[in-house]
Amino acid sequence: MASGGISRTKLGEGASHESFLRHRNFRWLKIALTVCLVAILAYAMIDVQPRPNGGSAYGYLLGTIGALLILWLSLLGLRKRAMTSGSWSLKGWTSAHVYLGLSLVVIATLHTGFQLGWNIHTLAYALMMLVIASGVYGIIVYAVLPTQLSDSRAEMTRPQMVEAVAKFDTQLQTAAQPLSHDDAALVRDAFGEDPFRAGLIRRLSGRDARSSTEAALQAMRRRLAVTTGPEAAALDGVVTLLERKSAALERIRRHLRIRALLEVWLYMHVPLTFALIAALAAHIISVFFYW
Amino acid sequence: MSFVLRSVSTSAQGREIVRTTRIDKDRLSIGRAPDSDVHLTDLAVALHHARVERRGDRLMIQAETGLFVALNGGKTNAGVIELAAGGDLRIGSHLLRFLPKAADTDDISVSLERVSEGEGKLDRDADRLFTLASVLPGKRAMAWLLVAAVLVVGLALPIKAWHDRQQRTAQFARFQADELWSSGHLSKGHANLQQNCGACHVTPFESVRDTACKTCHAKVHDHASPFRLARATPNQSGWASFQLSVKQAFNLPPGRCVDCHKEHEGPLDMAPTPQAFCSACHTDLKDRLPDAHIGDAADFERAHPEFRPTLISGWTGEKAQLRRLSLVQKPKEASGLKFPHALHLDKLGGVAQMGRRLGMGPQLDCTNCHRPEPSGAGFQPVEMERDCAACHSLDFARSGGTIRTLRHGDPAQLVAELRDFYGLRSAPLPPSLSPFARRTPGDAPALQERIQFNQGARLPGADAAIRSVFSRGGACYDCHTIDAPPPGSLDFRVHPVALSTRYLPHGWFDHRAHATQSCASCHGAAQSSSSSDLLIPGIATCRTCHGGESTAKPVASTCAMCHDYHAKEGAPTMIVRRLVRGQRRDAGIVQAKVSR
Repeated sequence: MASGGISRTKLGEGASHESFLRHRNFRWLKIALTVCLVAILAYAMIDVQPRPNGGSAYGYLLGTIGALLILWLSLLGLRKRAMTSGSWSLKGWTSAHVYLGLSLVVIATLHTGFQLGWNIHTLAYALMMLVIASGVYGIIVYAVLPTQLSDSRAEMTRPQMVEAVAKFDTQLQTAAQPLSHDDAALVRDAFGEDPFRAGLIRRLSGRDARSSTEAALQAMRRRLAVTTGPEAAALDGVVTLLERKSAALERIRRHLRIRALLEVWLYMHVPLTFALIAALAAHIISVFFYW
Repeated sequence: MSFVLRSVSTSAQGREIVRTTRIDKDRLSIGRAPDSDVHLTDLAVALHHARVERRGDRLMIQAETGLFVALNGGKTNAGVIELAAGGDLRIGSHLLRFLPKAADTDDISVSLERVSEGEGKLDRDADRLFTLASVLPGKRAMAWLLVAAVLVVGLALPIKAWHDRQQRTAQFARFQADELWSSGHLSKGHANLQQNCGACHVTPFESVRDTACKTCHAKVHDHASPFRLARATPNQSGWASFQLSVKQAFNLPPGRCVDCHKEHEGPLDMAPTPQAFCSACHTDLKDRLPDAHIGDAADFERAHPEFRPTLISGWTGEKAQLRRLSLVQKPKEASGLKFPHALHLDKLGGVAQMGRRLGMGPQLDCTNCHRPEPSGAGFQPVEMERDCAACHSLDFARSGGTIRTLRHGDPAQLVAELRDFYGLRSAPLPPSLSPFARRTPGDAPALQERIQFNQGARLPGADAAIRSVFSRGGACYDCHTIDAPPPGSLDFRVHPVALSTRYLPHGWFDHRAHATQSCASCHGAAQSSSSSDLLIPGIATCRTCHGGESTAKPVASTCAMCHDYHAKEGAPTMIVRRLVRGQRRDAGIVQAKVSR
């Protein structure tokens, strides 16, 4: 069954589940908010001439905090492979990862002094914002999608879903025997349609405009409408099978779509994090190179 | 009405073995129990797993309570198969395929086969098929690729650009990769250095030093010696002290040009220096630099010493002694000249009358004698011949068509010329016709009379003429202080004269900017009856209009309005900048600055 998302906390005493977002009564949310508030207040109070920038004393302070935070946040990838409990449990760590990561939006934006441009410094900032945005997206889909993912399987295992499609192909092979050569060719086109060949974009859309099964189904339906006699009975059988196959494919596509939506953020979050660390290194080295 | 069960199994060699069984019943029991109609030898199947019952054109499928079957791919406890369409019933690893019933028979064909697809392998394969990992490059590969791209663009190329510049192969006119490191556009004044990072960032990992600035800005005046600056700077505490120590730790020595002249802040103008920049040290400078020649100042309106003009306080022989004296001391100036301003500005006196005769208006005013500089900021020094001689004529004789004048500014020459002129004549001139009595130009009858006398009568002797010109009533005596010689000697000594042209060299004052005011509103010339009166207005006069940085007075004035950090004689940089940027309409100052 689905985990019920990440907000299901009010179970019985024994089995109570506390999501990483609510960890220790939002401890890290409070800490992150305090950090942001202090940073904003200090920014408002310190009068940097001629205008706020990352090169002022406060700018360097924010930059150092931000860089260390980024490095620590990226360590979650290592940390998550070792589950522990206690104050520094993996859950606590994840909670801190999320909230301190979000506080970076404030810290790094203040560090820029709202001066952005086409340079390595803004590249690092942009990458960081992308990483954070993908992380926020990840939290949202993890809260919403697992239920849908579970529902979309219709109580089948994934191999069964794959197998169902293949099975219909086998049956179509038999059922299409009485058909004329042209009709049989149409049905043959539908064989071997592989919903898993869809790339990222088609998986995310959950649709396949080029589905050969759908095309064959439409063609057979049109044929059925103008055919009578024993051939119509055969066509009817083929149409029924194509409909079922189409439904099975649709189920797979729906499942694929949810899986893609659920996974795609990590394909941004992780590689962009490394790009961010590289940009951060270039940012820091460049500052000291042209000190 | 019966079921025809075709059991399909596959031999080890892959050969299909089909056994057909006929079950003449309306109900099929399916399970692992041997007495089941359809006996499934799968441990995943219950003994009595499900029943299939034919009702008319339908097959009702019913699994035992708590058990499930897969009907047409969907997991269910109970379901229906239309005989006309047929259907799949999967129980455990077995698949019962109910074929669509043929119209001409009442039998229901059922094929039974064990689906042995190797579940474990398919599970793993299918699981992978459903993930994005099957269609996207690995996260690790993407990460390395992005890291490489960022490092090349953000680090390798800029360092190469720096290296090329070291080798002097780079062109400065086009884009340089190390511009990617620029945190912002340079200020307007430095826009031409945008492509030339190395102009300021001379040595890698060394902060920008003043030597780089002075490559171009060679003539900038230092505010004070670094040692005095260091002593004058208040001790930092708290945050500022922490900042200072961090800066030093990071090789950022304090007091560099770039501390104030910040760069990479966008194409901005240099902002006017805020008052706090000056007052940080100057509020209590005397505490730290007791020998400073200037008083403490924090705000023009509230804390600024009285002006201390530089004036001629006395004479050592022929040399004027300049001193800076506060107006509080009511200093007197020893210009060496006799000049009562009040007399000359009097509306009713003889001077006014003379001015009227000479067409100078109803009375003399300041501009009759004081001529502004081309810039309008200050005034040219008063010159006797140009500014005074219209009234104070030096004419004394006529020679042919030429009117001879006394030589001004060189008493010895004057004496010599008079001796020459009068040397051959002996007749004393009646006092009424003395050529050294003051005369007004254009007074033709008197001049005529004198000339006629000179031609016809005996003229005075040279000694008498010399004595006369230097003595009370003589032309020199009117304006100059003259020491009379011992009796019998003609060695008259004229005291030297010097006029100040700039009383406040450390502050800026622009007369043109104050053109809306009358001279008299600041300078009390009409009340001054002695040339020793200093007519520089005090700070109180300025304060009627000028306040501090934040003030209720009409003109808010920061230190930079009158003073420059990089001290120089001309207009303060702030004023010049405003002018250049069109925030001020007064081209005169800029011209003066350029011509200087």
